[in-house]
Amino acid sequence: MAALLVKRRWLSVSERRRLLTGLVFVSPWLVGFLIWTLYPLASSLYYSFTRYDLLRPPVFIGLRNYVDLFTSDPHFRVVIPNTLYYVGLGTPLAVATAFLLASLLNTPVIARPTFRAIFYFPSIVPATVIAMIWGYLLNPQYGAINAVLKALGLRAIPFLTSPALAKPTLIAIGMWGSGYYMVLFLATLQNVPRELYEAATVDGATALRRFWHITIPLCSPVILFTLVTGFIYGFQDFTLPWLLTGGGPSESTEFYALHLFRNAFRYLRMGKASAMAWILFIIVVGFTVVLFKSSSRFVYYADTNE
Amino acid sequence: MGNKRVCRREFLVQASTLGAAGVLAACAPKTGKPTVAPSEKATTAPAGEVPVPAPAEGTLIRLWTGWGGTGIRKAMDEIAASEEWKEALGNNTFELKDAVEGAAMLAAVASGDPPDAGSNIQYLDFMARGALIAIDDMVAASSIIKKENFIEGNWALAFYKGAMYGVPAIEGFLRFALNYNAKLVEEAGLDPDNPPVTWDEVYAWHEKLTKKDSAGNVLRIGLNPYGAMGEGFWYSDGWMVPTSWGWQWFDEDKKTFDLNNDKMIDAFATQKKFIDLVGVDNLASLYSVEGRDTWGGAYNAEVEAMIIEGYWHPGETANEAPEVAKHNRATWLPVPESRRGVKPQGAAGHLVVIFKGSKNPQGTFKLCEVLNMKVACDAFFKHLGWLPSIKSYYDEVDASVYPGLDFYFRSAHEATEFYWPLRCEITEFASNEYLNLKDKVNRNEMSPAEAAAELQRRCEEEYKAAGFAE
Repeated sequence: MAALLVKRRWLSVSERRRLLTGLVFVSPWLVGFLIWTLYPLASSLYYSFTRYDLLRPPVFIGLRNYVDLFTSDPHFRVVIPNTLYYVGLGTPLAVATAFLLASLLNTPVIARPTFRAIFYFPSIVPATVIAMIWGYLLNPQYGAINAVLKALGLRAIPFLTSPALAKPTLIAIGMWGSGYYMVLFLATLQNVPRELYEAATVDGATALRRFWHITIPLCSPVILFTLVTGFIYGFQDFTLPWLLTGGGPSESTEFYALHLFRNAFRYLRMGKASAMAWILFIIVVGFTVVLFKSSSRFVYYADTNE
Repeated sequence: MGNKRVCRREFLVQASTLGAAGVLAACAPKTGKPTVAPSEKATTAPAGEVPVPAPAEGTLIRLWTGWGGTGIRKAMDEIAASEEWKEALGNNTFELKDAVEGAAMLAAVASGDPPDAGSNIQYLDFMARGALIAIDDMVAASSIIKKENFIEGNWALAFYKGAMYGVPAIEGFLRFALNYNAKLVEEAGLDPDNPPVTWDEVYAWHEKLTKKDSAGNVLRIGLNPYGAMGEGFWYSDGWMVPTSWGWQWFDEDKKTFDLNNDKMIDAFATQKKFIDLVGVDNLASLYSVEGRDTWGGAYNAEVEAMIIEGYWHPGETANEAPEVAKHNRATWLPVPESRRGVKPQGAAGHLVVIFKGSKNPQGTFKLCEVLNMKVACDAFFKHLGWLPSIKSYYDEVDASVYPGLDFYFRSAHEATEFYWPLRCEITEFASNEYLNLKDKVNRNEMSPAEAAAELQRRCEEEYKAAGFAE
């Protein structure tokens, strides 16, 4: 009975006006979000259940795109392990490289700002330029690296044209461009209280132990952040592999995003590509959830752990 | 006059409402522009049923092409300066956008803002999906675009399900010949006056022309059968393998594929031999530099002594590497031993198509007509070495201007078999799968027989999944 007595409280005129004013002010963002984010998202979900080629109206086919991907697309079985290899190895390596570089540049080395700029520089270079630079450097005919090998009477190394080497080479190129992570780590490292190091030093901790027990735990939230964003970007990586290898040789660098693009814009199978996009979304969400769930084991949050 | 003062809050509310309304209005589709993809019915509409907008004066006519580079720009600049072009253009303006990526073209068409015309694009994708204007009526009224003026193969490419969707223009002639560098051939102790006829004979040349250094690095190869016109197949060019081995890989009427056969298997095996001699990684390395996306690059750099290319090769080589072009000669596309004596040739070429949504289809068509006039043909031949599909123009060409070109003219009369591209709606898919599977064969991950069977299976499944088998 008491519940019945509770009166629903209506907004007063001034409150309604305030709400309306607020909504009006956020409306540009709201409209943009609805049109440019929510609508394409919902559309792609619908298209994933259709046969759609962009030029003709979609035809509803239920789950056939999803079923076909797992049962009859021979490339899908190739791109999944390729992508997991690329992301699973490439992202942690890029994060580790950035962290080590940042640690190095956080020490009082000579010309530290210059080194920071040098290591950060690749991350502001557009991916197309990176592809051009490395394409020429690794060129088997006249690339600088192979030219040296040939001058020494050795065989040229087919960095990007051998199925065994193409993926590791792309990962190495990706590591070269991890300057953005390095800057994040540098900022974090500079916030690690010096007194912790001093106390540990007084207690007789070696540099390695200080690094392991102080530096890494205090940077672990940023490590988690870089890993999560790295995985997300890695799963969607397109430009470098597309420009440097085009998915070859022998499909060794045919990653998820390349196969998705090929289906969408080369074969006009936008319905299938939409299904691929949603499967990728689920994979990425899964990866992220696993990382966050397991993060309590390796991430140190000063506020909660105190 | 009432006392209607607007307070600050009301002003902000009203201004924001107006702003939001403005954003909404800007996002709304413009009147008169198609906002949805063309209907499926229109795909199969016979000539004349597709409504063609009335001619408009003073519009911007946009032509987008897949070709890029200075050659096409120079040629188009020269054409644009001609009286014929100016007269056809009237008070309209013209804009050429070159090097347009396929995805960009597709996005423009799908979004309802296509260019007026396109060339060197995936013609069949747009024809089969109803994105183009059927131009039968315009062609019927034209005094320049006449069927009898064009090579049959090129003319046929413009049709899909009985309607004509494009004007053969800019480039079109014969597609296949084995071009070779006579200087390198002679240096290898071979007779350039007695070129190979069969694949076995070409392989013998390949063996002698391929050179490696002491460490095994490839310095030069004889022939990469998967290079240039062997690289894959296209609706505008045809496919080297069925032309050489002699069969039709797709039945346009029955909508069936014939890819799992002895000829396909033999083609995989024969071409593999060439790759084995060089080394699959070596060849991929060589082509990643010299040949990728630039047909003839390896030939121009003299790290490849032979190349299978169309009639454009002599002219393009002359423009890009004049010293090499001096030694260029051409002969028949090789055939398997079982077909010795057969002289195969393929005719194909490019179209200019007019998109639905063009603001001035008639004006665009007039420009297509000029692209088939002498002034345009001269410009394309001069700057690019390209020939049109117009038969009468061939009498005006001095074939001796580019070494090797004369062979193509002779082959037009001497060929014993003629092929042209087949209207298979999943041509690009089939071509990519062929290239994927040849990689598997060349790397011993699959036998030629398995690859042929797999190619057949994949094409059949894709054809069905893409909705063309129904």
